[in-house]
Amino acid sequence: MNRVQFGEGACEKTRRYMDAYLSNELLVETNHEVLRHLDGCPDCTSELEMRARLRSRLKSAVQAQAVPPELTARVRERLRKQESRSWFSMNRLSAGWRPYVMAAAGIVLIGTAIWVRPAGTALPAVGDRAAQASYIQKISARVARVFKPGLGDHIHCALFRKYPENPPGIQEMEAKLGDEYKGLLPLVGPAVPEGYKVVLAHQCTYAGRKFVHLTMRKGTDVISLVIARKNEGETFTALSPEMNASGVPVYQTATENFQVAGFESEHYLAFVVSDLKGTVNLDIAVALAPAVRRLLS
Amino acid sequence: MLFSNKPRIADFEAAALPHLNDIYRTAARVLGDSARADDVLQDVYLQAWKSFDRFEPGTNCRAWLFKILFHTINHYRRKWMNIRMVKESEEILETTAASEPPIPEHITDQQMLAALDQVPQDFRSVVLLVDVEEFSYRDAAAILSVPIGTVMSRLSRGRKMLREMLAEVAQSYGIGRSTQEGRSA
Repeated sequence: MNRVQFGEGACEKTRRYMDAYLSNELLVETNHEVLRHLDGCPDCTSELEMRARLRSRLKSAVQAQAVPPELTARVRERLRKQESRSWFSMNRLSAGWRPYVMAAAGIVLIGTAIWVRPAGTALPAVGDRAAQASYIQKISARVARVFKPGLGDHIHCALFRKYPENPPGIQEMEAKLGDEYKGLLPLVGPAVPEGYKVVLAHQCTYAGRKFVHLTMRKGTDVISLVIARKNEGETFTALSPEMNASGVPVYQTATENFQVAGFESEHYLAFVVSDLKGTVNLDIAVALAPAVRRLLS
Repeated sequence: MLFSNKPRIADFEAAALPHLNDIYRTAARVLGDSARADDVLQDVYLQAWKSFDRFEPGTNCRAWLFKILFHTINHYRRKWMNIRMVKESEEILETTAASEPPIPEHITDQQMLAALDQVPQDFRSVVLLVDVEEFSYRDAAAILSVPIGTVMSRLSRGRKMLREMLAEVAQSYGIGRSTQEGRSA
């Protein structure tokens, strides 16, 4: 790749090309020039040997790192989950059929939505506390008890709220979360879809219970990460997990437009709540679960 | 035909899973965190499977997976890391001394990895790809989506920083001090 004629300052030139020489990236002619110099220069030979030895030691040190033995099995499991979920996805349809199938699906969806969407699902006004409580009770009635706190706090705290034009700064949000929970802030960004920003992070109280609540917003779409200390006997383990996130079971439910995914640590329940697609909401929870659980432990 | 000839998952696993250990180890060293590496690896394989129908059989599956790995890492990195990390890299470059410190003979894997972890991520990535995974400059450039010249300069600087870090790490363990003192005297 690199060709050079050595002459004066040959040691300096040799050392400049030593990296490419070690990587076998020099042109044959330049390689010969380096070799010719090395033949008569013990210092450069010694330097090259040291660099080659270091390269070899580095390789063996990196390759000696242990790989979790169950990693392959976990990858396989996740692939199979994905595969079964997307069995009838558009990926499997040949390109020529996609527009027709999409059109047909659209017609069916619109028809179904008109047919089954219950009346009166519009959100109550921000200031109407009584209507809000009734709304939360109605929506939450259809999910398992363990999901109710997360769903309720999401609706209460993230939906019935006027957001300021400019969200608070990181320092303010860290202060509101406190030392114990401020480590959640850097975790949520990578887990949510592009375009969402953390607009709210604080500790709040809803229905007499304390929560740690982070809200990510894009336009009018809202995602919440809600965390609460477990009450006695509260656990997801009576349910079937939807996904395993690096050893953390993640559970999922849905009601009306809301998707709720949950996971737990020894002392906490954590929920991801949104009105995104179920798979997207679940993916967010799966991405968050291991790190959030570590932090809560 | 209603359904396309989407590759079977068994074909994907046969082509991609043999590289899982290399992908994981590289992710762990680039990120410096095995838990994050675990998450990133799972994302890499999920992304790879989703786009496997666009992978051309017979081309370099390993390089393709590494390209997805660094794409995924960069995606996470924009969120995890902050600008300070990049600036630190440049500052380290500016202050890198021209002298070549001696590398001690007897250095453990742990000390080697500790030294590597201190090399800034952009440089560490190239060192890992070229020196550990033995990718050519051209493949490394394609994997990292940077010009070959960038690979060459980062490799050279990365190796140099590693040598310097290694000398420091070794000194902190009391290894090689006498050798260095002997030479500099």
